[in-house]
Amino acid sequence: MIKRGHGIGCMFYGVGNTGLPNPAAAFVEVLADATANVMIGAADIGQGIATVSAAIAAETLGLDYIDIHVTSADTLTTPEGGATSASRQTFITGNAVKNACLNARKELEKTAAEFLNCTEEELVFECHEIYSNKDETKKMTYAELMGSMGKLGRLAVGAGYYNPNTTYLDPNDMSGIPYEIYSYATTICEVDVNTETGEVDVRKVVSAHDVGTPVNTAAVEGQIEGGVVMGEGFVLFENIEVDKRTGAIKNPEFSKYIIPTTMDVPEIYPIVVSSDGDAGPYGAKGVGEPALIPMIPAVTAAVEDALGVKFRKLPILAADIVAAVKEKEAREKEEAENK
Amino acid sequence: MSKEYSVLGKSEIKVDSLEKVLGTAKYAGDYDMPGMLYGGVFRSTVPHAYIKKLNLEKARKMPGVACVLDHTAIPGINRFGIIIKDEPCLVDDKVRRYGDAIAVVAAETKEILAEALEAIEVEYEEIEPIFTIERALEEDSPKIHGDSNIHATKHLEHGDVDGAFEKFDVIVEHEYSTHRLSHMFIEPDAGVAYIDENGMLTVVASTQNPHYDRGEVAKMLGVPTNRVRVKQATTGGGFGGKLDIGVQLHCALLTYYTKKPVKIVRGRKESTTVSSKRHPMVMKAKTGATKDGKILVTDIFQYGDTGAYASYGPAVIGRSPVHAAGPYDVPNVRVHAVFTYTNNPMSGAFRGFGVPQAAVVHEGQMNAIAEKLNMSQFDIRMINAQTVGCTLPTGQKLTESVGFKDTLTLAMEKAREVMDFSEGEL
Repeated sequence: MIKRGHGIGCMFYGVGNTGLPNPAAAFVEVLADATANVMIGAADIGQGIATVSAAIAAETLGLDYIDIHVTSADTLTTPEGGATSASRQTFITGNAVKNACLNARKELEKTAAEFLNCTEEELVFECHEIYSNKDETKKMTYAELMGSMGKLGRLAVGAGYYNPNTTYLDPNDMSGIPYEIYSYATTICEVDVNTETGEVDVRKVVSAHDVGTPVNTAAVEGQIEGGVVMGEGFVLFENIEVDKRTGAIKNPEFSKYIIPTTMDVPEIYPIVVSSDGDAGPYGAKGVGEPALIPMIPAVTAAVEDALGVKFRKLPILAADIVAAVKEKEAREKEEAENK
Repeated sequence: MSKEYSVLGKSEIKVDSLEKVLGTAKYAGDYDMPGMLYGGVFRSTVPHAYIKKLNLEKARKMPGVACVLDHTAIPGINRFGIIIKDEPCLVDDKVRRYGDAIAVVAAETKEILAEALEAIEVEYEEIEPIFTIERALEEDSPKIHGDSNIHATKHLEHGDVDGAFEKFDVIVEHEYSTHRLSHMFIEPDAGVAYIDENGMLTVVASTQNPHYDRGEVAKMLGVPTNRVRVKQATTGGGFGGKLDIGVQLHCALLTYYTKKPVKIVRGRKESTTVSSKRHPMVMKAKTGATKDGKILVTDIFQYGDTGAYASYGPAVIGRSPVHAAGPYDVPNVRVHAVFTYTNNPMSGAFRGFGVPQAAVVHEGQMNAIAEKLNMSQFDIRMINAQTVGCTLPTGQKLTESVGFKDTLTLAMEKAREVMDFSEGEL
């Protein structure tokens, strides 16, 4: 029999290391042709910190996304970035890139203010244009600005870093400020469970994530979709088995350690939620790990809802489902007979 | 959000897309350099043992073998680890897990490398292996590191937990457990070490933390940090599994002795065997609420198996308790966490650092309370959701950017639109 179920899962996640300093740095240089080089220590393992850094640099410098080239994760040419972990790089390296760009902007602002005969404070850098927010007739192109910089012998270079505003935690009760900012999420899942084979068809998943400000909306949605599929595997397929005599992993290969394939991917509806805050770069927070977490309790609850059985021991493999269904049927039969 | 951005929030094409789509991105395993040697690691096949004898001579004498090294060759410090330096580059005192690195080999071809690794002989004096948290905690169990198998303990206490348990209307008490998982990043660990034209020892590797790697390589070789360069190659996923040192130390050590480029590419089996795993955890939770569904108190025990080495265990046991009550405003919280060493595969960083495990518990408890009160799973979450102004179990006051209720309502709105709730809503 096919039984349908729904489940909800929520989480919050502190961005960055727990109650510890964890800074990251960035370098930036704006070049004569109004392009820029950004150097970050952070490793991009596919999650997109290079993309995020390019967007933040472009936003801060008033250039276009394609004008930014990012070099990352090379100890000879990039500064300390700390680990690509704890969903921290958009928040921390992102802030570092913004700070480096603001430092590089100082000489640009000085030069533009002289050229436009206005104060540095009223200048807006946007889409290759520099203008006064008090008098929009006072404006110049980036090309003109870099021309002036060249004539004056000025360079636009900046270094910046960011360390989240946290405290060490009290060793007795863990009180303190473990993280500067938290990401939040809710995932809702719909499943069909085959009570005879134990197969679970994860049909539809809605996953809403408060990321503060999305830096790249498609990239956030991509993270959410990947996390949903990983969460599905976490609960329904994946399990490392260890040999009780040698301690060896018995299933170290893809043929025996089963992860979801594209055929297992449900209809996913990612929802990118914004919230107001100043801590992150333009308010951005991390989504790397939050993408995964709420799917785990959501799919668990959906299977529970379908079968009317609780699963408090993960994973929930097909054999576990069949066993749980049989146990429930036996229990119900016994109860009926007792009546 | 009312702010208008000129670049942010758009969906620009990711900067690394083109090379990946075209298949031209260069991963560490793709490197091929003149005179490059192939490196490999001889690993333990027992979980817990002293090494009585190690015979490297047969391997050393084989034609085409450039270098065979054990721990005695390490010029600097033979201990590494992101937080606690408890793992050897090459085993010097005892084997603590299946797959511990005992010797490294560099050879002219992959075939010779495989033969040389086969030719290494080892004799063990086995020690009772510990595979369960229970056995690890027993007084008479062998100790894996130092004089205790307790890797770490944490205690979080907020409000008046015992007092609050006298005031509840409903209470739920359950035990939960989560399992050991593997990251299964698509690209197995790989790297190549070489000495560049300026004499700089360089390691190009698949990694999540090149600056940390640089420090470990420098300490292991006993050279200043600025004489080592670590460069991340295009990396095919990590999920936390490439936060520990992979092949970097072994490549660097072999290049240090041979002065030649040395490449190590782990096979899938070796990669999965040796890289960190998600901490299996057992958690017990007791949660009390009022009849209106307001969670008053939660008291949680978390037991974790960190395996043979600390790796990111300290980060997991530090993070899991502060997330144990979930995204809810719970005034009284107590969490006690104990992680032990065992001779199981090493547990470490894995997407979420103990929060997925914690979430299984706080969400399970939430649903159990809702069921007892005949409330919907959605409503009980809305009632307890954190908002700006809430105080967390650490005493931290939330001051900005708390969009939790929005995620709940927007997700529910969408679910009503796309899902079939004909048999009742959540």
